[in-house]
Amino acid sequence: MSLGTIVGNIKLRNPLILASGVLGSSYSVLQRIYEAGIGAVVTKSVGPVSREGNPNPSVFALKDINGAINSIGLANPGYKHFREEIKILLENNVKTIVSIFGGDVEEFSEVLVGLSDLPITAFELNLSCPNTEKEGMVLGTDPQIVRRIVENLRKKTKSPIWVKLTPNVTDILEIADAAIKGGCDALVAINTLKAMVIDIYSRYPILGFKRGGLSGAPIKPVGIRNIFDLYEQFGDKIPLVGVGGIAKWEDVFEYILAGASAVQIGTALGVAHPENKIRHIKNNIQKFMKNEGIENIANIIGGAHR
Amino acid sequence: MSRKITSFDSQPIMGKIIRIEDECEDTKNFFVEMPEKIEGVKAGQFVMLWIPVVDEYPIGVAGFKDEILELGIAKMGVGTEALFNKQIGERVGIRGFYGKPFKPLENVNHLLLGGGFGMTPLKLLINTLKSRNRGDKIHVFEGARTKNKLMYLDFLQNLHDKGEIKFHVCTDDGSWGYKGFPTVALEEVLQEDSQQSVIYVAGPERMMKVVFEIGKKYQNVKDMQMSLADRYMRCGFGLCSACTVDPTGWRICVDGPVFNKEQLEQITDFGEYIRLATGEKKRI
Repeated sequence: MSLGTIVGNIKLRNPLILASGVLGSSYSVLQRIYEAGIGAVVTKSVGPVSREGNPNPSVFALKDINGAINSIGLANPGYKHFREEIKILLENNVKTIVSIFGGDVEEFSEVLVGLSDLPITAFELNLSCPNTEKEGMVLGTDPQIVRRIVENLRKKTKSPIWVKLTPNVTDILEIADAAIKGGCDALVAINTLKAMVIDIYSRYPILGFKRGGLSGAPIKPVGIRNIFDLYEQFGDKIPLVGVGGIAKWEDVFEYILAGASAVQIGTALGVAHPENKIRHIKNNIQKFMKNEGIENIANIIGGAHR
Repeated sequence: MSRKITSFDSQPIMGKIIRIEDECEDTKNFFVEMPEKIEGVKAGQFVMLWIPVVDEYPIGVAGFKDEILELGIAKMGVGTEALFNKQIGERVGIRGFYGKPFKPLENVNHLLLGGGFGMTPLKLLINTLKSRNRGDKIHVFEGARTKNKLMYLDFLQNLHDKGEIKFHVCTDDGSWGYKGFPTVALEEVLQEDSQQSVIYVAGPERMMKVVFEIGKKYQNVKDMQMSLADRYMRCGFGLCSACTVDPTGWRICVDGPVFNKEQLEQITDFGEYIRLATGEKKRI
C-alpha cells in the first residue's frame, strides 16, 4: 500500500502538505511539522522587504463553525532574512515549498531570483492574499497580470512554480488558464474566502484590519467545488493541489477524488498537538485504503469524475 | 443578559470592567466581569485582551473568581494606554485561557521570583499554593527599580505578616526592602535551606536567564519553571507560530508559556533572541 504521490516532478511520501500561513514562521516549527510525518511544508509568504502586517487582532478561531478568520497581512521578515531559515530546512532535507509574494512583477522577480540559487522544492506564488490594501488581490484576480508574472518568473528558476488561486473571483477557470499559459507547474486552490466578524457589543469589526479571510471547515465545500471544476477543465494539463478546510481524514479523500494530486492542511493544524493530528489523519487514511482495497492513493486522483 | 458558555477559546468574548484599582506607579488592576460559567484558569495561563479598534495583546491572569477576571496591567504602549482610558462599565474582549500553566510540585519549597508585570501570574500561583494548604514553605522574591514600581506590595506584605509566605523585597535604589536584586535573597534561601525547591519565575527574559543560571548551581533545586509570556504573540492558540522559539519549534502560546528546566535547556533562544512581529530574530 502506498501513500506516495507526485505533483509534477515532485515526489511526496504522502499527499499531506502544510499550507502556507499556518505554523510557517520559522525553520524550527516547519521542521517540527515535517518530522511529524507530513509530505512537505509551505512557508509563510515571504516578500521583498520585512513587514509587520496588520494590527491585532489579526487571527482568531471561530469555534462554532470550526474555522478561523485572519488578516495577518503578509507579516514577514523579507526574503534576505528568511533565506537563512530556508537554508536550514533544505540542509535538513525538509521538502520546502516557499510561498512568495510581491506588489508587482519586479518584486516577485526580486524575491524569486534572490532565493532561486537554493534547491527549493517549489515556489508557491501567493497571488491571492485578501488581506492587504494593494498587493496580492489585485494581481490574482486579473488573468493578464497573472500570466505576465508567471511567464516572467518561469524563466528565472529551475524550481517548479505553483500558483495559489483565490476563490474570490467570478471565474477561477479564467485565472487558472492564464497561470497555465504562463507556464506554471501546478495549481493550488483555494486561498481564504473574504470574510468579516463584527462584535455586537462594541459594534466594531473585530479584526484590526476589519476585513479578513475565512479558513477551516466551513470553506471545504467551496474548495472541493473549485478543485472539481479545475480538474474537469485542466486535469489532463496540470496537477492540482487541494486546500481549504481539511480537518478530517475523510476530507483528504474528498479532495483527491475531486482531482487533487496532493492536499494542503492549515487551520486544522493550528492546535496544541499538531503531531497527533497528522498521525491520526495518516493512520485513518491507511485504514480506509485497506478497507476499500486502495493499493495506491494516487490511483484515485480525480475518481469522482465519471 | 448573560450567555452560558463553557470556554472562550474563540472570538473575543466581551467582558465588562466593573472595578479599577491603582496598584503602583503606571500599573492598575482591572476587574472584568465575564458572561457566566467559564472554565477556571490556572496560574501561568494568559488571555488575549482586545481593546476595540486599538490592539489585542497577551496578559497574564492574576485571578478569576465568580466569573470576575483580575488583570494587573502596566502602562507600556498604545494598547495598554487605551485600556487605562477605559471607564467602569466599558467592555473589553477576552480570548483564552491559553497556554500551559505552572505545575507546582509537592513536598518542596516553592520559590517564586518576579519582576514587573511578571508578578501577575505569580499572584495567582501564590493563591493556588495557599489553597492547597500542604504546609510547604512559600518564598516570594520581588524586585523593582524603586518602591513605587513594586506590584502587590500590600498583598504580599500582608501574607508575610500572617506567616503564610516569606516575602523578600528589594529595589535597585534601596527605597524599599534591601538594595539590590532579588537573586541575592534567592541564593541566601537556597544556601540556608537544603530542602528540595522549585523556582517559579515570570518577568523580563534576561532576568529569567540570570535566575536560570543561578538555579543550575544548586543541587537542591529540583525544577525551574519560567514563563516566556513576554514575547510577541498573534493568535494565542497555536495557529500562526509567530511566537515560536528555536531550535525546538515550540510555540510560546500553547507549548508554553511556562517551560520547565529540561525544556528551557533545549531552547537556545531563551534569554538570547526574540522574534519580532515581522518574524525577524532580534537579540534581546
